[in-house]
Amino acid sequence: MENELNVVGQRLPMHDAAAKAKGTAQFTDDLTFPGMLHGRILRSPLAHAKILRIDTSKAEKLPGVKGVVTGQDIPDRLYGIVPKARDEYALARDKVRYIGDDVAAVCAIAPEIAEEAIELIKVDYEELPAVFDPFESKKDGAPVIHEGIKNNTSFAIKKEFGDVKKAFAESDAIFEDTFFSQAVNHAPLEPHAAIAQYDPLKGEVTIWSSTQIPFFLRRNLSNTLQIPESRVRVIKPKVGGGFGQKIDMFAKDFCAAWFAMHLGKPVKFIYDREEVFISTRQRHPMYITVKTGMKKDGTILAQKFQSYADGGAYNSTAPTMMALSCFFLMIPYKVPNLFYEGYHVYTNKPVGGAMRGHGIPQARFAVERQLDLMAGRLGLDPAEIRLKNSIHAGEPHSAGFVINTCGFSESVKKAADAIGWKEKRGKLPFGRGVGLAGASFPSGVSNMSHISSGAVVQVGQDGAVNVLSGAADIGQGAETVISQIVAEELGVLLEDIRITAADTGITPLDPGTFGSGVTVRAGNAARLAALEAKEKLFEFVAEKLEANPEDLIAKNREIFVKGSPGTVMTIKDAIKGYQYADLPMPIVGRGSWMAPTDEPTTLFEQDGNFAPNYSFMTQAAEIEVDLVTGQVKLLRMVTAHDCGRPINPMLVEGQLEGSVVGGMGQALYEDVIVEKGQVMNPSFLDYGFPTFLEMPQIETIGVETDDPIGPFGAKEAGEGTQLSPAPAIVNAIYDAIGVDFMELPVTPEKILKAMEEKGK
Amino acid sequence: MRLPKFRYIEPKSIEEASAFLLDEPGAKILAGGTDILPNMKHRVELPSVVINIKKIPELNTIRQDNGVIRIGALTPLKKVYESPIIAENLSALSSAASSVGSYHHQTMGTIGGNICQQNRCKYFNQSQWWRSARPTCFKAGGEICHVVNKEEVCYSAYSGDVAPALMVLDAIIILQSKDNSREMPLDMLFSGNGKAPLNLKEGELLTEITIPGKAKDGFSTYLKSANRESIDFPIVGTAFWASIKKKEYRVAFTAVDRKPLRGGSVEDFLKGKDLSEEVLEEASQIASKEASPVKTSVYSPSYKRKMMGLLLRSAIQEAMGREK
Amino acid sequence: MKKGIELKINGDNYEVLISPNNTLLEVLRDKLGLMGTKQGCDLGACGACTVLINGEAYLSCIMLAMDAVGKEIMTIEGIEEDGLLHPLQTAFVEKGGLQCGFCTPGMILTAKTILDEEEHPTEDTIKKKMSGNLCRCTGYKKIVEAVMSVSEQTGEGA
Ligand SMILES: Cc1cc2nc3c(=O)[nH]c(=O)nc-3n(C[C@H](O)[C@H](O)[C@H](O)COP(=O)(O)OP(=O)(O)OC[C@H]3O[C@@H](n4cnc5c(N)ncnc54)[C@H](O)[C@@H]3O)c2cc1C
Ligand code: SF4
Ligand code: FES
Ligand code: FES
Repeated sequence: MENELNVVGQRLPMHDAAAKAKGTAQFTDDLTFPGMLHGRILRSPLAHAKILRIDTSKAEKLPGVKGVVTGQDIPDRLYGIVPKARDEYALARDKVRYIGDDVAAVCAIAPEIAEEAIELIKVDYEELPAVFDPFESKKDGAPVIHEGIKNNTSFAIKKEFGDVKKAFAESDAIFEDTFFSQAVNHAPLEPHAAIAQYDPLKGEVTIWSSTQIPFFLRRNLSNTLQIPESRVRVIKPKVGGGFGQKIDMFAKDFCAAWFAMHLGKPVKFIYDREEVFISTRQRHPMYITVKTGMKKDGTILAQKFQSYADGGAYNSTAPTMMALSCFFLMIPYKVPNLFYEGYHVYTNKPVGGAMRGHGIPQARFAVERQLDLMAGRLGLDPAEIRLKNSIHAGEPHSAGFVINTCGFSESVKKAADAIGWKEKRGKLPFGRGVGLAGASFPSGVSNMSHISSGAVVQVGQDGAVNVLSGAADIGQGAETVISQIVAEELGVLLEDIRITAADTGITPLDPGTFGSGVTVRAGNAARLAALEAKEKLFEFVAEKLEANPEDLIAKNREIFVKGSPGTVMTIKDAIKGYQYADLPMPIVGRGSWMAPTDEPTTLFEQDGNFAPNYSFMTQAAEIEVDLVTGQVKLLRMVTAHDCGRPINPMLVEGQLEGSVVGGMGQALYEDVIVEKGQVMNPSFLDYGFPTFLEMPQIETIGVETDDPIGPFGAKEAGEGTQLSPAPAIVNAIYDAIGVDFMELPVTPEKILKAMEEKGK
Repeated sequence: MRLPKFRYIEPKSIEEASAFLLDEPGAKILAGGTDILPNMKHRVELPSVVINIKKIPELNTIRQDNGVIRIGALTPLKKVYESPIIAENLSALSSAASSVGSYHHQTMGTIGGNICQQNRCKYFNQSQWWRSARPTCFKAGGEICHVVNKEEVCYSAYSGDVAPALMVLDAIIILQSKDNSREMPLDMLFSGNGKAPLNLKEGELLTEITIPGKAKDGFSTYLKSANRESIDFPIVGTAFWASIKKKEYRVAFTAVDRKPLRGGSVEDFLKGKDLSEEVLEEASQIASKEASPVKTSVYSPSYKRKMMGLLLRSAIQEAMGREK
Repeated sequence: MKKGIELKINGDNYEVLISPNNTLLEVLRDKLGLMGTKQGCDLGACGACTVLINGEAYLSCIMLAMDAVGKEIMTIEGIEEDGLLHPLQTAFVEKGGLQCGFCTPGMILTAKTILDEEEHPTEDTIKKKMSGNLCRCTGYKKIVEAVMSVSEQTGEGA
């Protein structure tokens, strides 16, 4: 009972769930300020052009317009989420690089006036030849999208682990296959928004932004607008989903701040859905060739992996994305010898960025599909081949990942059992099939610059606990998980915790929500802070209870002595006593946490242990193909996930279920269709992400491990599950109709065509 | 995205509405608004006057009159498919109405608005800014077409779900203007001109749809293929009516041409035949040649043609072995 | 040309000056500060802006405010009974039927119409009728469970 957890591990509703259900939770667009102005961005109708002249005079004269800004007005500073890959201006300075590029902005007393004013801006362009295909783009003589970037290849990574040549020579079977993953939009329900306000006396800009990365946004705003970081305050209101799309800054942030500074009034920008589709970020389309050498028994000896990411017009997270797709090839399967080359190529198209899984879903699609192909060629069972190659805790990873806990093989077995693998694989009637695929994901990033989190815990006079955290809750429940961790450590209940999160003016540093690092990193920081506060209280209580502080346990609003639960004091009384003992109030604990590493890992230059820990998962799908229409229905998806020990199983399930449906969208329904650089389906009507009616039966199975580094043994649960639903589904399609699809999405049209060809 | 400016009017009678339409050539009818308002936000429809006809009381009714089913133009789709007379006897209509958009659209959208909806095209149903990346197309007021490189012709696709179902039920529509009223088979409403898809005379409104009692004597169905099971317009929709006893059949398609299309050749082929596996295969082949869809949507014309045949095949299969 | 109209929202009458081209969504949010109704797409394709008009689920982003005159409008702000969360709200909270919460007000209102129409809808009915409400976070499963659980409570004297 003493070791039992009270708050951690419980299925508790999010602390702000009721506010969300009441509609009172405030998203950026729900905030208004007296005298607030409304901004709007003018976007390029051309895929590639020089800006010769921008005439804003007519727009400026429209009654109600308060300001117009162009790229030339804003300091000549590039921004970007990855410092070494900065290549974007707040507004285009001399050139536009895709249809939708930010050209100018207006702000007016009403949104409709801003909409009208935008149309009065006249831009003279000199159209340049544009290129829409990465293979064309990397050729000599292709249009130059960014000056000085050779072959439009902004980032290339080549790595060899082990001795690939030798390993191929030793292989019994070598096959090479080529795959393609399409562009996918994150489509968070809340469109991107920002409101900025300026205090001329303090010289301080405050910005409310629907962002996953308040502190990175602060830095980039400071750099671009040339004001000290300390004078930029980023507040993150409720965020209506992100999935990676909000791991970046956008024209709306810079322009809102710029207008606020220059006009002295609050300014709001909200993107239309169309702008979210075209002018924010998307999952990179990727062309991948994998060559694998295996022993007859299915043991992987070597892999050669080549990938071309169609980056669109700017870098965004390019280097990180490419590096992730490389390093995570060696996990969850042991790949002792790997040669990887990856290229991020600019095209005159919408920009690729981080999206749930970040470079890994594309790679996993290729690898997990190829594993099934190899299994078929060698006459092996796809589940067996995965078990055979599974990495285990304590085993070495070619690039130096440290795997302390690993439930991968267990996840394969459990998922296979639950889907009925033995009875079904290859045995279902034509048109029905099962398939599975595995994956692994980091719980955040170790030891890269600024990847560390802080937290402050303050225990108030009434026993209420205030937590300050820089973590960015974007709907996944980060604030709740952190509060649970603090509550558990302090021995109080979730309802005793009040959390203030992500206000760069108040809360400690945190890199933000990406790489699924929040629970482990910000959670550990919060736990340390709670521990420090608790120690102060324990020192006092120990004296009163005549015990050693080390023997005290706080649980359920009480502090008692280990082994003698009768010797007890309520936390409320403890705090009262603490005050009357004239000890300094309030009790404050601070924590800062960074993943422990022996050597710095930057991914790009330095191998090593990439993350504090790694989650593992297997998805198993059962599908049915409508043999008449070609429509694939995902009937059931089992997902077995090792996320360590879940802090909140209900929230974990929610993450997994959302990921499954998202992954199904990627497999079957979603595709950002581009024609001559123009997105043809930039709407919720034409970009069809799954509705209630597409939802499969979803079964989530926990594979518990107790991770030594995660808080209370936790590992990530946010992104991993979105890595492999697509290959699991496409593998199941093979089982159903005997056709191997190498490209996503698998539409009814493709199915019908393939079945016809097969019939021939 | 804001709506453009317009003058707003709420007539209390059909005559009044018609008078406004006659007065103001730029006026447009608003029923449920679920089709016209998105188009207005996109600035592809810019009515000077919006005439909200929903306050005209008598147009939201379903009645049976000597076996003839009469549906007022303002009847919401939901009321159409929930009506027992329709659900029990005219399944093509009830499945078509319940396949429109999502439940919200079925609640808001009217049967008249569904029939009279604008044609669709991937270059047309886009925002003003989006369309500014290309020369203005013919339908939107310019001179060229991005789909078929012929001047001054628009190939936009009629994409309503309900019209083909009504067509196979031999529906008659009633059009009314200030001092006139006329009836015609529904087929005749559609001009086949992508730019102006409806044959409405000035001042005319669609007021009623009538379905002859005979329609109930047959089996009918509507099958829709779309990316998702909800929200989406049809990639192809196929309506089928069959009188197994009399060996009479009617077929209609949507989203494959500038108007909803009766399947003339396939009807000729089926006429007088008993439905069987062989008949079904051949009918399916013929059906896929009934139209020549063009690239007005992101789905390929060849896929659309294929689906015309396949949906008809499934529809016939459904009909086989029925009593009626 | 602006026009003064009266809207009956959540039982209260609001006088408000609008333009005929204002959608109901714009009036609710921008003029009346009823921010519970969300704008996800503004083109009638996501359900985030769902309100109830005479008890039925409407998309307020493709509905003229003028058209709502004389009708009973209910927004998420009006669903609570006696200051208590509506059972649907409680169920969404407890069953984890929400994550970011942006789709939630629309979801809850659509669910209300379903349960008002039919005490014990099947799972298929719920899915079908809610399919115009998009959610990118939850994968829908827990939303269906939340609505089912409320349906199961009713009629059991709960
Ligand atoms: C996201 C989304 C998805 C959709 N999916 C589908 C779909 O799957 N299938 C489908 O068929 N439709 C779909 N629609 C379109 C629309 O919702 C339906 O067609 C609906 O039935 C239209 O009816 P309404 O009353 O709202 O029409 P309105 O928008 O009011 O009117 C449509 C047109 O008809 C004219 N009109 C209306 N009534 C009359 C009349 N009595 N006489 C003369 N002219 C008239 C109007 O002037 C206007 O031009 C969708 C719309 C959206 C926004
Ligand atoms: S078919 Fe041609 S003219 Fe008609 S809407 Fe499409 S692009 Fe315009
Ligand atoms: S905002 Fe109205 S349906 Fe999306
Ligand atoms: S909870 Fe985020 S969109 Fe539904």
